[in-house]
Amino acid sequence: MGARVYPYLMVLPAVLVVVGVVVYPVISGIMTAFYDVTLRTLNTGTAQFVGFRNFERVFADPVFVQASTNTLIWVVLNVVAQLGLGLALALLLHRAMPGIGFFRSGILVPWVVPSVVAVLTWRWMYDPSVGIANEILLKLGILDRYHPWLGDTATSLYAVTVESIWKGTPFVMLLLLAALQMVPRSILEAASMDGASGWRKLWYVILPQIRVSFAIAAVLTFILTVNNFNAIWLMTEGGPLNSSEILFTLAYKYGFQRFDLGKASAVATMLFVGLVIATTVYLKLIQAKEGD
Amino acid sequence: MDTAAIHPRQRERSAPRVVKRSFQLPKPVRTALVYITLWIAFIWAVFPFYWMIATSIRPKDEIFQRPPSLILNGATLQNYIDLLVGAQFWRFAMNSLLLTVSVTIISVLISVTAGYAMARHRFKGSVTLPLFMLYGQMFPPVLLLIPFYVQLRFLGWLDSLWGLIPVYLSYMLPLCVWLMRGFFSQVPFSLEDAARMDGCTRWQAFWKVILPMARPGIVAVATWVMIHTWNEFLYASTFILSDTKRTLPLGLSGLIGQYTTDWGVLMAGGVLTAAPILLVFFILQKQLVSGIGGGAVKG
Repeated sequence: MGARVYPYLMVLPAVLVVVGVVVYPVISGIMTAFYDVTLRTLNTGTAQFVGFRNFERVFADPVFVQASTNTLIWVVLNVVAQLGLGLALALLLHRAMPGIGFFRSGILVPWVVPSVVAVLTWRWMYDPSVGIANEILLKLGILDRYHPWLGDTATSLYAVTVESIWKGTPFVMLLLLAALQMVPRSILEAASMDGASGWRKLWYVILPQIRVSFAIAAVLTFILTVNNFNAIWLMTEGGPLNSSEILFTLAYKYGFQRFDLGKASAVATMLFVGLVIATTVYLKLIQAKEGD
Repeated sequence: MDTAAIHPRQRERSAPRVVKRSFQLPKPVRTALVYITLWIAFIWAVFPFYWMIATSIRPKDEIFQRPPSLILNGATLQNYIDLLVGAQFWRFAMNSLLLTVSVTIISVLISVTAGYAMARHRFKGSVTLPLFMLYGQMFPPVLLLIPFYVQLRFLGWLDSLWGLIPVYLSYMLPLCVWLMRGFFSQVPFSLEDAARMDGCTRWQAFWKVILPMARPGIVAVATWVMIHTWNEFLYASTFILSDTKRTLPLGLSGLIGQYTTDWGVLMAGGVLTAAPILLVFFILQKQLVSGIGGGAVKG
């Protein structure tokens, strides 16, 4: 009898906690998107069912359109750059050379630094009057005078993207390095014997071997980028003039600056649907990998 | 031999060989190129970290000197003294420490038992439950934020460090269980059976045989939770309202002034906040990298 009940007892606390703090809040969050929840209705307990009214109000907001465009730019730039640079770094570091451990540890530093500390450091480096980023670009001849990177609507989103790429690339590199180390050496040697050049070897031999890990890294980067709040919030708060607003920060503003919780939940629910699709793809990929 | 006589596939394959030979750079040049690229990547990765430390040990007038100088002319601990003299920073550190220790202990306890049961026993849901856990990890925090706010308000736990514990569990526990199941499934359970045969109780076999073997995994999960709790900003900044209950990341962001910011003190705080994480990471580097990488990719 004991052997039958034990596993359930052992799993029970985890299931209870997850149902209580993940499943229930998610359901309640989606429900909120269909009620007119504000601070006032929350206090009186008279939130009314309003159907898709919150979604209509979100779609009517011009800032929502801008935030959606920004989210697209933000996600595409981050995913492409992090995967490209991460793969390049993994290929570079996947070789036996003197001092390679030193380089690997150094390149992992951005991943290890706490994100709030990293973001604030970059904000300081972007300082419009004494920022080192301006000074370096000036010395290199790229700029002719200091530029307020975070204060200009034309550059704010891209300036934050650079920080986010800096922070996220090492993790991608780590995932791909682990995958490269599992590619059998004999395959690479056979390719070299056949006279495959560097690029052809990369395209026809290495990439097919690590394609599942690569796809997993892509989906993870996508999820982490959509959910990256700290970088934008602590550098620009989505400004100036919503030029670096993404859907996450927009939902946050609806919810915790205007306390229009229904509208915030509507945006959050749309993000949620997108992420559920991405997660499903991710899980399918993991299962494909286990089937290999 | 006439080229036309060669099988087209073979011709295609031999063509790049010729191209490759003629374009190949000599080996020392290639090695030099690799090292130059590595140095560029290294400097790119480490520079902001260097700049943070450099700013934190500069005298105030030098920090705001224009143009800024890459190289330090003199060092001072004044920024650290300014930061640590007030009681604020110590309080933030204590709050962070308290929260980190509690969340780590709770999530390790819960995830060890659940992970073990999922890996060891076949029962209803032993296959779907772990996948469900992984799904839980992917939920966007912004969707959870609002229900948490409503719930914490209802319970009167807004602006309380204890109220943050369940919130943080939502963000850590699912992945902890998933990773832990991965680690336990690599433990050879025949050893446990052998221990039971030798007269150990179920508990003794678990405690003395299985747990020591799963230790690297447990260390990796515990460290992962510690680092993420220590660094968490979004939930803390939304649910903590009073100054005395702030955590370190919150305290740091609070040092940004509306008009002027004392960057020397702020960067000193950054160094002190990052130091424990860096220390833990470089001590446990091997275990962590294989643990996280293995857990995420291999499942």
